[in-house]
Amino acid sequence: MKHRLITRKQLNELLDRLAQEVCLYAPVRDKTGTSWAEIRRADEACLDEVNTVEPAKGFVFPRCEVLLRFDPQGNPVEPEPPPQQVVFGIRPCDARGIAFLVKFYTQEGRTDPYVRARREKTTLIGVACTRTAPTCFCLGVGGSPQGSEGLDLLLVELGEELLAEPVTEKGERLVADLPPAEEKHLTAAEEQRKKVEAEISLRIDTRKLQELLPGLYDTPLWQTLALTCVNCGACTFLCPTCHCFDVTDETVRGRTVRCRVWDSCQFALYSRHASGHNPRHDPASRYRNRIMDKFYYTVEQAGMVSCVGCGRCIISCPAGIDIRQTVGTVQNSKCKLKNEK
Amino acid sequence: MNNPYLPVPMRIEKVVIENDARDLKTFDLAFVNESDWQNFKFLPGQFAFLSIPGAGEAPFGIASAPHEPLVKFTVKRVGVFTTALHELEPGATVGMRGPWGNFYPFELMQGKDVVIVSGGFSFTTLRATIAHLLLPENRKNYGRILAIYGARSPGELLYKEELKEWEKRSDLELVLCVDRLNGASWPQREGLVPNVLKAVAPKGENAIALVCGPPVMLRYTHPVLEELGFAPENVFLSLENRMKCGIGKCGHCNVGPKYVCKDGPVFSYAQLLKLPPEY
Repeated sequence: MKHRLITRKQLNELLDRLAQEVCLYAPVRDKTGTSWAEIRRADEACLDEVNTVEPAKGFVFPRCEVLLRFDPQGNPVEPEPPPQQVVFGIRPCDARGIAFLVKFYTQEGRTDPYVRARREKTTLIGVACTRTAPTCFCLGVGGSPQGSEGLDLLLVELGEELLAEPVTEKGERLVADLPPAEEKHLTAAEEQRKKVEAEISLRIDTRKLQELLPGLYDTPLWQTLALTCVNCGACTFLCPTCHCFDVTDETVRGRTVRCRVWDSCQFALYSRHASGHNPRHDPASRYRNRIMDKFYYTVEQAGMVSCVGCGRCIISCPAGIDIRQTVGTVQNSKCKLKNEK
Repeated sequence: MNNPYLPVPMRIEKVVIENDARDLKTFDLAFVNESDWQNFKFLPGQFAFLSIPGAGEAPFGIASAPHEPLVKFTVKRVGVFTTALHELEPGATVGMRGPWGNFYPFELMQGKDVVIVSGGFSFTTLRATIAHLLLPENRKNYGRILAIYGARSPGELLYKEELKEWEKRSDLELVLCVDRLNGASWPQREGLVPNVLKAVAPKGENAIALVCGPPVMLRYTHPVLEELGFAPENVFLSLENRMKCGIGKCGHCNVGPKYVCKDGPVFSYAQLLKLPPEY
């Protein structure tokens, strides 16, 4: 699909039009930075921050979602299909997170109809990063500040104009009438990519990590790494790829719904059997599960590392735990283990 | 849309209180809709979610065999959902979704001896397995069938009437045992399941062992089976981790990279040796 050129004015017109036709979401300014909200006009969108406080995963996997309603006779009724929605201003790391979620939820075997329906009804318009935060490390886990994976359309800001790269038919339809981009625009975008990528120094050898992690299950390192962890679950709730949920029935004024809500493997209750037995009873085993899941388990399950390097777990951790340090320690631990033996 | 979260309605036909403590009940369920019955194909070892609007849902092993007309579940009263279920009487409706997971390795078992080891109320899917294997058209395909089933006390054994019938059969060796007798009279064995297994000492040659029980029983049963010559790939265990979805999405039941609901609940011991002990 051809790269196109879109001016800021044209983009604003496009967003204004979309806001009339469908639910349009974008980052908007709030007390904590920017957060996702429905907008009515293009100028409500705010791309000043490197990224939103919360990831964009809620657009395909909401924090709380009704699975079924029960009629007065107790018969289950499926909810209305989700509405058409357009998400503008999603960063490449969060788009990769959605790509992972969609793959995980719709891969072979049983497909989750809710995630699939939401992704089908959603158009994702990404905006490439022009700068980074100190906690960004997308490049370290195979992403890029200009990555287009998971998106329908990627925009790269070049001053008063934007380079538009359609990724899917859905994205193509949005920009089909615009003039094609010229060579100089592609070059400018490429230079910008190199400049932003140069700001990220961390590299993680995820393949080496996959080889190492299975053998590191019993290392006492986990105790040390998780020592300050309070198992609050903030890292998992703010993670663009964390997919765990709990299913619960809620009855309000006699009307019952069965809904699913985000859950976290960092909680003790998460894995506790009805008998009281808990396979992951101590905090270190739960911290280990999170790291193993990101860099080893999901590779086996869905063929993808499930860390996109957005850095939110680092920013949000009340105990100052840094996943980059954990990964670094794990990567360098093999020789230590050999010495121990 | 084929929605895996949508339960089908089941009518409770019969409720049996199974034990002296009265916290284990067996529910025999009939499909309200004929078409749901036609679509329900399973083999022993698989499980399903039962649900009551407002009380939630929980997974249980299917305790009936595929040829039986009613779908049987034995449920211990421990939480919100199971308490609500225990209050229901015949005629009431509950939701069911499934069957989920895999089943015992019936193909691999053909032509071999089958040793069933079970403790406590996890006997459910193994009860289904025995009923399935004892069908005349199935029975001829298997060698000796030995079942060792233990509970804390005689009153805690499930399916007591059926066990009496099974004891009379010549094509099934049933060994019942209880942990402690405390002076009560009991014609069967006293002792923990792993010790009874050791005493009965079935040969591991050309045999498959199916094991289901509480984690502590599993831990002490492995070494005995190993001593008896059962290779890890011929020992199958059914795991019961906490789970919410049954289709490998909610995350809860993972054992390393495997999900008990989707990749299990039946695993060979050889498979489990490669996984972390998170069950």
